[in-house]
Amino acid sequence: MILSSIKTGLAQVWKSKRMVLIFFLANLSFALVLMLPFRAAVSNFAGETLMGTKLAGHLPIDFIFELMKNNKSLFSIYGTLFMLVPASYWLLSLFLSGGAFATFARGDGYSSPAFWAGAATYFGRFNRLFLWSLPVFAVLLCLQFLETGFQRLIFGSDPYEYVKYWGGWVKYGLRVISFVLCAMVYDYARIHVVTTGETRMRVSLWHGIRTVFGNLGRTFALAFGLFLCGALVLAIYNPIADSLAAPNAFVVLTLFVLQQAYMLFRMLLRLTLYSSQLFLSNKLAGAPAPLEISTDPQGLEGAAA
Amino acid sequence: MILPKTRWLFLTIMIFAVARPVLAQDIPVLFPEPLSPRIANYNIDVKLDVGKKTLDGQEVLIWHNKSQDAITELQFHLYLNGFRNSESTFMQESGGRSRRNKLDEKGWGHIEVTSMKLTFGGKLTGAPRYLAPPDAPKVLDNAFDLTGDMQFIQPDNDNAEDKSVFSVPLPRPLQPGEFVAVNMDFNAKLPEPPMARTGAKEDYFFVGQWFPKVGVYTENGWNTHQFHANSEFFADYGVYNVRMTVPENYVLGATGVEVEVAENDDGTATHFYHAEDVHDFAWTTSPEFIEVTGKSQDVDIRVLMQPDHADQGERHLAATQFAVQVFQDWYGDYPFPNLTVVDPRRGAGGSGGMEYPTLVTAGTKYGLPAGIQAVEHVIIHEFGHNYWYHLLASNEFEESWMDEGINTYTDIQTNRARKTTGGDLIDFLGVQVDADQLFRTNVMFGAGRDPIMRRAWEYYSGGSYGVNSYAKPGIVLQTLHNLLGDEVMSKIMRTYVERWRFKHPKSQDFFDVVNEVSGQDMDWFIEQAWYTNATLDYSVTRVTTREVKKPKGFDYTLPVSESDSMMTRDEDEQTNIEVAAASAVPTVDEAAEPDSDDEPQETKLYFSEVRIRRLGQFQFPVEIEAVFDDGEVIREHWDGQELWQKYRYTRPAKLVSATVDPEGQVLLDVNFTNNSATVAQQKLGINKVSERWMFWMQLFLEQPDILHLLQMPRELIK
Repeated sequence: MILSSIKTGLAQVWKSKRMVLIFFLANLSFALVLMLPFRAAVSNFAGETLMGTKLAGHLPIDFIFELMKNNKSLFSIYGTLFMLVPASYWLLSLFLSGGAFATFARGDGYSSPAFWAGAATYFGRFNRLFLWSLPVFAVLLCLQFLETGFQRLIFGSDPYEYVKYWGGWVKYGLRVISFVLCAMVYDYARIHVVTTGETRMRVSLWHGIRTVFGNLGRTFALAFGLFLCGALVLAIYNPIADSLAAPNAFVVLTLFVLQQAYMLFRMLLRLTLYSSQLFLSNKLAGAPAPLEISTDPQGLEGAAA
Repeated sequence: MILPKTRWLFLTIMIFAVARPVLAQDIPVLFPEPLSPRIANYNIDVKLDVGKKTLDGQEVLIWHNKSQDAITELQFHLYLNGFRNSESTFMQESGGRSRRNKLDEKGWGHIEVTSMKLTFGGKLTGAPRYLAPPDAPKVLDNAFDLTGDMQFIQPDNDNAEDKSVFSVPLPRPLQPGEFVAVNMDFNAKLPEPPMARTGAKEDYFFVGQWFPKVGVYTENGWNTHQFHANSEFFADYGVYNVRMTVPENYVLGATGVEVEVAENDDGTATHFYHAEDVHDFAWTTSPEFIEVTGKSQDVDIRVLMQPDHADQGERHLAATQFAVQVFQDWYGDYPFPNLTVVDPRRGAGGSGGMEYPTLVTAGTKYGLPAGIQAVEHVIIHEFGHNYWYHLLASNEFEESWMDEGINTYTDIQTNRARKTTGGDLIDFLGVQVDADQLFRTNVMFGAGRDPIMRRAWEYYSGGSYGVNSYAKPGIVLQTLHNLLGDEVMSKIMRTYVERWRFKHPKSQDFFDVVNEVSGQDMDWFIEQAWYTNATLDYSVTRVTTREVKKPKGFDYTLPVSESDSMMTRDEDEQTNIEVAAASAVPTVDEAAEPDSDDEPQETKLYFSEVRIRRLGQFQFPVEIEAVFDDGEVIREHWDGQELWQKYRYTRPAKLVSATVDPEGQVLLDVNFTNNSATVAQQKLGINKVSERWMFWMQLFLEQPDILHLLQMPRELIK
């Protein structure tokens, strides 16, 4: 079921290549906003110095501190940007995810009206769903404190450092699992909204929780399977990127292309996850997939009916 | 009336006679010829109560008046009283925190002298080697009881609540050459957890600054200071015989050499340590220490590791062996037979990273990657103190740079010597940091609020003390090193150590050695670097190059003149403009070489200008390098005195770039980036770093993804 979900999911994404591009461009454009002040500062500070050339090679640690020391306004700029841009990006991603789920639910590939209609239709509900989800996320994120409790229970208040050290890794692992579970619950709840047209978000949230924890092996394995795909590509990407360190224009350009290819792959992976989860959700619910999409605000249920 | 000399003889005989059983213990004679003046000699018996974290001690101090003054009082430090309450000078200055450590609610530390008796010696022609505390009262039966005469004093400020220094008037003036024997009973409570280098944590004890310690009598009288948050210590050399009683299952390490361990009937053991020509004594004990031993040259090394860090024992040992070897090779003999390195217990970091004679503390973490050389750096640094703090023993209260600053300079040297690949301090996951980069960054951000020369507690802040005692003098000395060259600087350091071993040098003594050995008057540098907060920043602010056009308009040539009409100098420039390459400026005829039988082709000439500015107040001679597109490199030397300098060239090549201090020798320069300027915009590096930043931002925006959680840190640091 997992493999078939991924396979179907991938096929769906392949039919919706333009959607991958939309997600990629959204990411790129927001990253550009975050990059431009930095570029301006570096260019102003070192653009007409020999450091401007040296930066094409290994990044000198002296330069980083000198840049910080002599460009204090960067801190206030990024203080603001780091508040606004990720929040805006998250909202945009949420908006786009409505379109993506709607497109995958329809199953016949990307169609601009359907995508944007889906995005617009579900944006409000996804926001409400997020608010409903916050207590669940809080509970899940408290998973990591299991380690703290067990450590104190078993080793007392003054454990050896190795207990703290390995405990720290366990805690980190639990935190990552918590994040994954949060994302999974939210994904399956959104799928429920899209596939049923549910307007009561607490119902969809409950459905998401039941789907994830009622089928934890399969839902987690699906996410983990795609994680492994990503890890594999990362393992290929890293040494190539590391080798592209020579200070010449071709290498710099190649690195840029590689980075963006990697990001494109990441978007593809994310959409594959959405699509596969939708397929799995339908399978688990015994529903035929893919369903026909409706631009009716009442959602797919109405269309299917 | 008994003559003073006879009286001294009598006392000495008495001391030796009474102390006879103890002498029979074969106390080793480490140095038949004393290495130091041995002014303050201590014999201490102390018992540790591991439950209450208290010390119960008896101390006999034999103190010699080697000054030319008749001394009317003695002054003592009671450092542990710095932790007595929230009103002590230490607590007031530190805000109750030191190196991120804070005392537990009931963790106050203190020391009280419950009894003080004193006997005068006579004219000094020799010194008693040992006087065991149990026997001392017999010698001192007829001594003056000064218990009621002790009075707390505050030499540095008016904080009457501070009880870290006391004075006691002498019954009569102590004449030059005389000595006194002072018998004190004291009890103390160690701070919990360890703070400012001393204290207890569970069953781990690091006992430093723990006994009543006499001040230093100088030409200006007594030199004692309250225990300050931002200061270390100053003391006279002497011989220490210390017997420490601890539970018999406890492992103990201390300054000096172990003479014997005697097991007692009550389940305790008494460890007897002897040290000569040291100016302090510290010890540590814990049942959990794991011992790692080794040797480096003629020095026995003992590392006391915590069980958590047992796998790093060899790492500690290797760093210590390296430190001993390079310091002996570079700075002369470490005369002591041994060295103990202590790894502090978890939760006792306040006792880490500290030096005592022949005993230092390090500090590590479980799982510390090999590429992060923090523990090696600390060990080498702390051992370095055994030269600057121990062998030379400057006054750290008043001239902290002489220990910490010189030691930071030697850190840079030793780190460079250890460097194989990558950064000598950090070489981990692609991040490479050298020690000098770290220190230079400290200077860049925090040196401006004070000059180096300040008394330790009078700096603007703890941060300013740190930078101006450690990083800045280290970078200043490395800059001096680069200016004078390896050979001269090496000779300076060696001469300084040889000349001032065991003599408490002052700053001027070091400066005198610099001037003498270098054969130059370096006061211009010393004055700016040590006595001002001037920043050093030279910058290439402008580089231009343009083709020289044929002059237009009318020329006016006197009939007798045959000079060419090419103008290489603007008439309206200011007086300090230097056309440095005047001799290198070719005329049109010289530059144009006909390459065929055809009509000679005229070579294009370019007028280039380099402007250098001194942006800081610090004046320093610098090299300037101008690079032309025909590959030619022209070097200039500027004395760096004026606010700016211009160089102009008329050459058959375009100027590409100019750099001040091209080799990066002037580490004091707070901005290396502005040390160069290029005629053309350098886009390649800007593009590269921008695309990397953008990629980080792309990952940052995608943080909810688990892979990005893992990849992001790598991207940030690679």
